[in-house]
Amino acid sequence: MNPLVYKLEKLFYNPTAVVLMACSALALYLIFSNYKAVQFIIRSLKRNKLRTILTSLAILVLVLVVTAIWTILSKLDEITEEKSKDLKAMVTEKYGARSQMPYSYARGLADGGARKPSDVHPQDNMAWSFYIGSLEKGKFTRENFMFFFCMDPEKFPTMMDEVDTFSPTDLAILFESIKKMKADKKRIMVGKERLKLLNKRVGDRIKLFCQNYKDIDLEFEVCGTLPEGRYENSAVMNIDYLQDAIDGYARDHKGEKHPQADKALTFMFLKTEDRNSFERLAEQISTSSLFTNPAVKCDTASSGVASFLDAYRDLLWGMRWLLVPAILVTMALVISNAISISVRERRTEMAVLKVLGFSPSRILFLVLGEALFVGVLSGLISSGGLYLLINGLIGGIPFPIGWFGKFEIPLAAWWWGPAIGGGTAFAGSFFPAWSARTVKVSEVFSKIG
Amino acid sequence: MAAEPIVQVRGVHKYFVRGDEQIDVLNDLSLDVPEGEFMALMGPSGSGKTTLLNLIAGLDQPSEGVIVVGDQIISDMNETELARWRTRHVGFVFQFYHLLPVLTAYENVELPLLLLPMSAAERRRQVYTAMELVRLTDRMSHRPGQLSGGQQQRVGIARAIVTDPTLIVADEPTGDLDSKSAEEILNLMTELSTALQKTIIMVTHDPRSAARATRILHLEKGKLVRESAVYSLHH
Repeated sequence: MNPLVYKLEKLFYNPTAVVLMACSALALYLIFSNYKAVQFIIRSLKRNKLRTILTSLAILVLVLVVTAIWTILSKLDEITEEKSKDLKAMVTEKYGARSQMPYSYARGLADGGARKPSDVHPQDNMAWSFYIGSLEKGKFTRENFMFFFCMDPEKFPTMMDEVDTFSPTDLAILFESIKKMKADKKRIMVGKERLKLLNKRVGDRIKLFCQNYKDIDLEFEVCGTLPEGRYENSAVMNIDYLQDAIDGYARDHKGEKHPQADKALTFMFLKTEDRNSFERLAEQISTSSLFTNPAVKCDTASSGVASFLDAYRDLLWGMRWLLVPAILVTMALVISNAISISVRERRTEMAVLKVLGFSPSRILFLVLGEALFVGVLSGLISSGGLYLLINGLIGGIPFPIGWFGKFEIPLAAWWWGPAIGGGTAFAGSFFPAWSARTVKVSEVFSKIG
Repeated sequence: MAAEPIVQVRGVHKYFVRGDEQIDVLNDLSLDVPEGEFMALMGPSGSGKTTLLNLIAGLDQPSEGVIVVGDQIISDMNETELARWRTRHVGFVFQFYHLLPVLTAYENVELPLLLLPMSAAERRRQVYTAMELVRLTDRMSHRPGQLSGGQQQRVGIARAIVTDPTLIVADEPTGDLDSKSAEEILNLMTELSTALQKTIIMVTHDPRSAARATRILHLEKGKLVRESAVYSLHH
C-alpha cells in the first residue's frame, strides 16, 4: 500500500483531520449561503487579474516558507517536549564529551539499578552502540558509508520512535527482518534510501571497514529494509555481533583488549510508567555502586535531545521569533498594499453601494472578504500542496543536524496555510476596509451644485 | 383635507467647516413635497441644490433642522439606520449612472434587492418588472461596458425603482447624455411620475428637463428664492 494512501486512510481517526473536515464543511456552507456576495468578491478580484495573481503568488511563497519552518520547529518541540506518562529515560556517561560506558553496565541498567524489593524496575529497555563503516577501506564518502544503530533487534518495535507510523506492509517487513536477525547475528536491516544510494539490495552480502572502532571490520547480510521517513538513511545491526567482535579482538591481538572494549555502550534507554517512576529510577542509578567508573547520569530522552539541540538554540530561536514574524508582517503588508490600491480605485463604487443601502459594516465585510478570499485560498493551496508534494513525492524535508532524518509536513499544515493566509489578510486589509467603510457619500459625489 | 406631504423639510441649515471658516450651504430652508409630485430643483452653481437633494435622500445629515420623509424623521437617524431606510425608501439616479462594471445589467438592478428579505424568485420577478418598465429586457446579461449611455441610465433608473421606493431622487440624470437619449430618459421619468404616481425630485441645470416637472424650485445661496408650478405655466 502506498504510504500516503495509508496515511490518508488514517485521517478519519485523527482529531485534527476531523476538525479540519468540519471547518471545511462550515466554510463551504457559508460560501454557498452567501454565494451572491462571494460572486461579487470573485468578480471584483478578477477586475485586475495581474494584481490578484501577484498578491496570491506572494502569499503562496511566503506561506510555503512558514509551513516548512514550522514543520521543523513543531517536530523538534514534539521531540523535546517533556511527557508525563510513558517516559523514556536515557542513561549516558556523566562527564565525558561523548558517552562511552562499558557494555557490562547494560545488564544492571536494564534492571534500573534496583537493589531493594521496593525499588522501581523499568518497563522495558534498549542498549545502543553506534557502528559507522564504509564499503571501501580508507575511503569514507556520502555514497559509501553506513550508520548503524547497534541494538537488540527485538527492541525496535517497542522502544524506537515513530514505529506507530509504519504502514502494515512496513511492519510486516520489520517483524520478518527481526526474526531473521535473531537467527543470524550478521544480518542487518537497512533504510531504503541508504540501500539505493549504496546500490545494494536485500540479500546482498557486504563488508564494511569501521570508522569508529579500530580494526573492527565486519561482514553483513542485508535481510530487510526500513521504510521511508526517519530511518530511511540508517541501518540496524545486532549489538551482540559488535560485542563479540570487540571481545574477539583480544584473541587476535595476543590478549590485548580492544582500546574501546570498555567504552562500547553509548546509550541505555529505559521505559518508565510516569514522572515519579523516572525520578526514583534516576535516583537508584545515580546512587548505585555499579555505575561509578565511569559515572552515569539519567535524563529523559526528550531533555537529552534538548541538550543536543542547545548548540543550535540561537538559530532555532531566530527562526521562530525573527524569521517567521518577519515573513508574516511582509505578507500583511503585501495584502495591505493590494487592498489599499483597490479601495482607492473603487471609492466611488463604495459610495454607490452606500447610496443603494449597503451599511458601512457590509462594505467593510466585502473588502475584508476580498482579502480573506485571496489569503485563505492561497494559504490552503500553498500548505496543502506542500503537504502532498513533500510527503507524497519527496518523502520529507531533510534536516541534516545530528541523527535527524527527514521531517514530514504534519497534517496540521492543512489549517496552518489558511490560518496564516487568512490571518495576515485580515490584519493587512483591516485599515483599508475601514477606510472603505467610512467613505462619505456626500464628499464623493460633491460637485459645485 | 390636503394629504400630508411625503417630504417635509423644516428650518434646515447645512454648513461645512473648513479650517476656521464656516461655509453655509443651506440657510433656514423649509419646503413640502406632496406625494406623486415631479419636482425640479434649479439654481446656479453653489446654490445648494445637490446638498438639499442629498439631505432629502438621507445621504447626509443637516446641521440644524428636521427632515421627514413618509412618516420617518430621517434627520434623527444614524448612518446604519439611514442605509437601511434608503434601501426601501429611496431610489437614486446618478448623472454618471455609476453602475458596477463587474455586474451585468440584471445584477446591477438586483443589487438593492439583495439587502431585503426576498427569495430569488421574487427578486427575479421584480428585476424583470423594472427592466420591462425601462424597456431593456433584451440587454439584461450585458455588462455596463457593453451598453450605450442612454441604456446605462435606463438600467440606473431600473435600479432606482426596483425596490418600489417612496421617493426617487435624480441628480442631473441627463447631464451626460445626448439630446435623443436625454429625451428618452425624461420621457421615462415623466411616465414614472404620471402613470405610477412616483414622487420624483430632480436636480437639473437644463430648463428643458425642468419643464417636465410639475413644480420647479429655484435656490440661490442656500435659500429658496422662487417657485413655479410648470403645469400652471403650460395650462
